[in-house]
Amino acid sequence: MTTFATQRFYTRPGKINNASGDFVCGHCGTFVSVNVALSGVGNRNHCPYCLSSRHMDQFEPGDRLSACKARMEPIGLTFKRTAKKYTGHHQGELMLVHLCDDCGKVSINRIAADDSIKEILSVLERSAGLAADTRDLLDRNGVTLLDPAQADLVHQCLFGVNYAGAPRR
Amino acid sequence: MYANTNRGNTNTGVIIRKTRNHYLIQTGSDCIEGTLSTRLKNEADFDCVAVGDVVTWNDAAQITEVLPRRNWLSRRGAVPMPGGYAQEQVLIANVDQIVPVFAAANPRPAWNLLDRFLVSAESSEIPALICLTKMDLVEGDQLAEIEAIASEYAAIGYDVVLTSTATGRGLDDLKSRLQGRLSALVGKSGVGKTSLLNAVEPGLGLRVQSTSKATGKGRHTTTMSEIFTLASGGAIADTPGIREFGLWDVAEDDLAWFFPEMRPFLGHCKFNLGCRHDEEPGCAIRKAVVEGQISPYRYQSYLKLRDEA
Repeated sequence: MTTFATQRFYTRPGKINNASGDFVCGHCGTFVSVNVALSGVGNRNHCPYCLSSRHMDQFEPGDRLSACKARMEPIGLTFKRTAKKYTGHHQGELMLVHLCDDCGKVSINRIAADDSIKEILSVLERSAGLAADTRDLLDRNGVTLLDPAQADLVHQCLFGVNYAGAPRR
Repeated sequence: MYANTNRGNTNTGVIIRKTRNHYLIQTGSDCIEGTLSTRLKNEADFDCVAVGDVVTWNDAAQITEVLPRRNWLSRRGAVPMPGGYAQEQVLIANVDQIVPVFAAANPRPAWNLLDRFLVSAESSEIPALICLTKMDLVEGDQLAEIEAIASEYAAIGYDVVLTSTATGRGLDDLKSRLQGRLSALVGKSGVGKTSLLNAVEPGLGLRVQSTSKATGKGRHTTTMSEIFTLASGGAIADTPGIREFGLWDVAEDDLAWFFPEMRPFLGHCKFNLGCRHDEEPGCAIRKAVVEGQISPYRYQSYLKLRDEA
């Protein structure tokens, strides 16, 4: 009997479903490898250098059904709602918030191991200056951005609790 | 409807069954078995006669001429050898409508394949009637999903019939849509094309099999195309199950035209008719997909077919 989990499966166009999945960032033009050994994640979805993404998914992560294909700008950081399973932290994983330049779609993505720390902290700083309508949009999507005042917490997530610049527990 | 034409003294009839180099030709109420004439074999480097063709034959029952076709449904044939060229394979000719048949479950519907049939039908200017079978096998969310997808195709402008030979659902509706026309059933193996034909015309008693329990796929029971006359008027061409359907003679530039829901947006892109509707800025079709006027699934089908064209 058919299982309907993949009932409406449409094969992706060949150029997206290429052998390696490597790509050139549409924003900064840097070549990006999706090798798991480099990124630490199995689903690379943004450039590790400028953290820009592309609006490719429509209904669920990885479906590649979106026709928008515009740049998704990293606008801030947030915590995943579900707490980490194997740590004592109350908050969830540190995540990047992307906003589509064209249609205004908001998505939350995992930070990869090789993402630029400098750029992540820069995004945190920039998020303080977001326009009011963007903040309203995030509220409507249930996304709570981290404040630059929470930089210590972000440092803990990025470098661990023993990081010299962060307060020890 | 297929009808024989009298061309003076020549024998004229319609191919209603075709096996390898043997053709059953209907002429009036009689049928004769024929073969290809040597001249026709030598002239054509591929199979030039299809079911539905109107042909003439000589005294030795050899087909001597294939009369011009009103329309035909064809696909890209298998490449005969590595490095060889694919040739056109005509599945059926001179039909009034194509009926792509898909099972609601077992085997699960391949919507990409449906879009291929529909594009091919549009390029051949043949009306299409989408038929979903085995509706008795789905219920609840699965049934709602199938009905939602069916309504999407109906919104585009295609006729959709939901049927079940087990419960009899939709059969009367299907019969009325087949009446007075020559319809061609096409679809994957195991979707229930021949079962549907048996249900519409009970006296035929054609051989059917269940799908494989191991693979869930059909077993290629029907091995040749054949036209059957319906008692209620009209005729149906039953075809073998199709595993692959590569588009034939559909240019990349024309492809969007064969998606009816995209037609209103053609020419409204920033690059007008030069737009490929993929990465180009200011594309009206991509905008329509984002705004929900075109199904993203159909758009993905378009991209996939365009890459192949």
